[in-house]
Amino acid sequence: MRKLLLLVMVMLLVVSACGLGFAASQKILVYAKGADPRGLDPAYVDDGESGKIIVNIYDNLVRYKPGGTDIQPCLATSWTQSPDGLVWTFKLRKGVKFHDGTPFNAAAVKFNVDRQLPPNATDDMPYASFTFEPVKKVDVIDNYTVRFTLKHPYAPFLANLAMCMAAPIVSPTAVKKYGADYNQHPVGTGAFKFEKWDKDQQIVLSRNANYWGKKPFADKVIFKTTKENSVRASEMITGAIDMMDGVDPNDVKKLESSGVKVLKKPGMNINYMGFLTHKKPFNDVRVRRAISMAINRAELVKYLYQGYAEVANGPLPSFIPGYDPKLKPLGYNPTEAKKLLAEAGYKDFSFTFITYSNPRPYNPVNGVKLAEAVQAELLKIGVKTNIKVYPWTEYKPVLFKGEEGDAFFYGWIGDNGDADNFLSLLDSSQIETTLNSAKYKNPKVDELLRKGTLVSNEKERVKIYQDLQKILVEEAPWVFISHATDLYAYRPNVKGFNPHPTGVTWLEGTTK
Amino acid sequence: MLKYTIKRLLMLIPVLLGVSFFVFMVMHLFNADPAALMLGQHATQAQIEALRQQLGLNDPIFVQFGRFLWQLLHGDLGRSLMTRGSVTEELLARFPATIELALFSLFIATVVGVTAGVVSAVKRYSIFDYVSMVGALLGVSMPIFWLGLILIIVFAVNLHWLPVAGRIAIGMEPTAITNLYLLDSLLTGNWEAFWSALQHLILPGIALAAYSMAIIARMTRSTMLEVIKQDYIRTARAKGLDEKTVINHHALKNALIPVVTVIGLQLGLLLSGAVLTETVFSWPGIGNYTVNAIMASDFPVVQGSVILVAAVFVVVNLLVDLLYAYIDPRIHYQ
Repeated sequence: MRKLLLLVMVMLLVVSACGLGFAASQKILVYAKGADPRGLDPAYVDDGESGKIIVNIYDNLVRYKPGGTDIQPCLATSWTQSPDGLVWTFKLRKGVKFHDGTPFNAAAVKFNVDRQLPPNATDDMPYASFTFEPVKKVDVIDNYTVRFTLKHPYAPFLANLAMCMAAPIVSPTAVKKYGADYNQHPVGTGAFKFEKWDKDQQIVLSRNANYWGKKPFADKVIFKTTKENSVRASEMITGAIDMMDGVDPNDVKKLESSGVKVLKKPGMNINYMGFLTHKKPFNDVRVRRAISMAINRAELVKYLYQGYAEVANGPLPSFIPGYDPKLKPLGYNPTEAKKLLAEAGYKDFSFTFITYSNPRPYNPVNGVKLAEAVQAELLKIGVKTNIKVYPWTEYKPVLFKGEEGDAFFYGWIGDNGDADNFLSLLDSSQIETTLNSAKYKNPKVDELLRKGTLVSNEKERVKIYQDLQKILVEEAPWVFISHATDLYAYRPNVKGFNPHPTGVTWLEGTTK
Repeated sequence: MLKYTIKRLLMLIPVLLGVSFFVFMVMHLFNADPAALMLGQHATQAQIEALRQQLGLNDPIFVQFGRFLWQLLHGDLGRSLMTRGSVTEELLARFPATIELALFSLFIATVVGVTAGVVSAVKRYSIFDYVSMVGALLGVSMPIFWLGLILIIVFAVNLHWLPVAGRIAIGMEPTAITNLYLLDSLLTGNWEAFWSALQHLILPGIALAAYSMAIIARMTRSTMLEVIKQDYIRTARAKGLDEKTVINHHALKNALIPVVTVIGLQLGLLLSGAVLTETVFSWPGIGNYTVNAIMASDFPVVQGSVILVAAVFVVVNLLVDLLYAYIDPRIHYQ
């Protein structure tokens, strides 16, 4: 036995070699997040975790400006729109190559859109129909000019092209080469090239030295998966990682006291309680308004979310063009609420909420805690409520049917930073598609929404959406509760870490 | 012996069939709709319906199960609904991490557990006996999740002795041979990687081993106490053998049979206990992966991983049975 041990030791010594770790001179940025992405083919994913990596591998035709959802050129250098709003012509950037060496051109753009349009689109492409629904066809005019013809004018079209889902431009050669496995072998034109993916562990990207834009600083960017928020925060404190998202509010003090910087960014989401407006009692606007006024949302945000959320004054987060800073929400007024209820003939009434059991990005506590807090608020004006809870995987089918309960807790994570993306959730045509879970119907709202997508003049659009928000606050189909704040943390030596309101971070400008 | 082994291996088939049937039914009895989850917040009812149709989720449940079995017969566990990746490949990519952690924990649990058990039995009612048995009680009753977090806070965040989470320091991954990092780094002589992998294993290893360590210690102690009372031990002592030989050669080997059974069972338990440990320590194994799949109603992944764990469990039990014959020459299999 001893001889064997000795032999092993000697062998180990003989074969000993230096570590194969990254050379010390390499500049590596480590970004820790809570889960692996679903995949890295933008056509087949719908989750934020995928988006965070996708934006660093791919470019889109257009891109959001830093800090907001205004649009700037990217792979398209300029574009024009026909007067009827139906034809969009994009001039493309010349000399750009995909990471596999194939050229980026008009044919590549056409390939990208065509694969997500009928008849090529498959049922499991979550964003294809949302992003490219208005597109009738795409034509290659010349190598660097591409023309989109739409079925109907659609003002948010550009915003759709900037999204991290569906719209990023993939290498047609690579898609053909890898087939269904392309999801694991992404090839784009972006600042970083995909290197490897150790499942549930890390995704390694390396610097694209030929990047057409600002040359990235880091030689490698590593997206590390650390599932538990508090464990990720511990890694931050020990310096094992440079940046992280999904900071738990309970960890903020601990992080800050150890010298880590914490970033609080307004999130592109809305946390709301919807009324089933197609049936009693919430088909009566007075009852909806009464319930809205009985809930002290400022207190909810303060205690439930410990201040890491903004009270919503309407459906839109403040950085979205079309947001109205002067919009006055239905304020907390229990007396008025009671009066309204009595007026509507609902003196001693009770109703049922349905809610989800888990945390959601717009509601980082969970649906049950939120429902219980609202329940306590309503009890103060004598309204009794029952709470019915479902796990998230069962909740959505229940919600879609619209038969259970009288009111429901839900939320929305913005996709493209356009006002229409939030407000169209109350379009009556969306009742059928089940996005309008409140089953709210108002011809005036429908008309304004339609107008909003047709008008391309930015000022006019803003006006339309501001009028629309006024109606929604008056009509109260939802109780607009809050917009959750996104919390990030980074080491003090990291510079230029600037997460975007859409929840993704372009890392080419980040240094340390 | 060979005949027996083959017979036992053939019994794997009904066991796996039963397990697959059970998991399949449980997953499908819930109301969860993977199609709705796959398509995200924009999905319209029509799109969800189309996808359900495409995935065959609208077929009668026995038709679905039949299709699943047919695939399984061809060694195909299907594709993950969420990632579109092959379930077999995804499981194989993660399985080495789970095995490495389970074996490492088993090693800690066995070495510490058996030693503590033997010493406690030999020095019954000593301070050591009391301390180790109280320790064992704590080990059995402490939740892994909580223990894991405490270990992180004490040894990683406050003392900075060990890393917080993960499997190896970033960029240190050894050249892949078996994908067991300790082994691969040894085989390639990559000391830095070996050291880093070992450091990363210690905290999750201890957290996972705590329960099994306690069980093994208590089991060893009680069987040792019984064996020590036997006549042949008295005879051995009377022959004038020194105490070390009596304990190690005469008592321990006979006390080991029930302990080996327990250790064998522990490996199964460690594989399943890995679910929580992997979650706390972000260990990239199948436990963590399965939890995510359950959350997302990713049927093929859940089925695949349960079948894999069940198969391993059966094989480990077989190995344990075969080991009896080695420890106790009186045992024969036919």
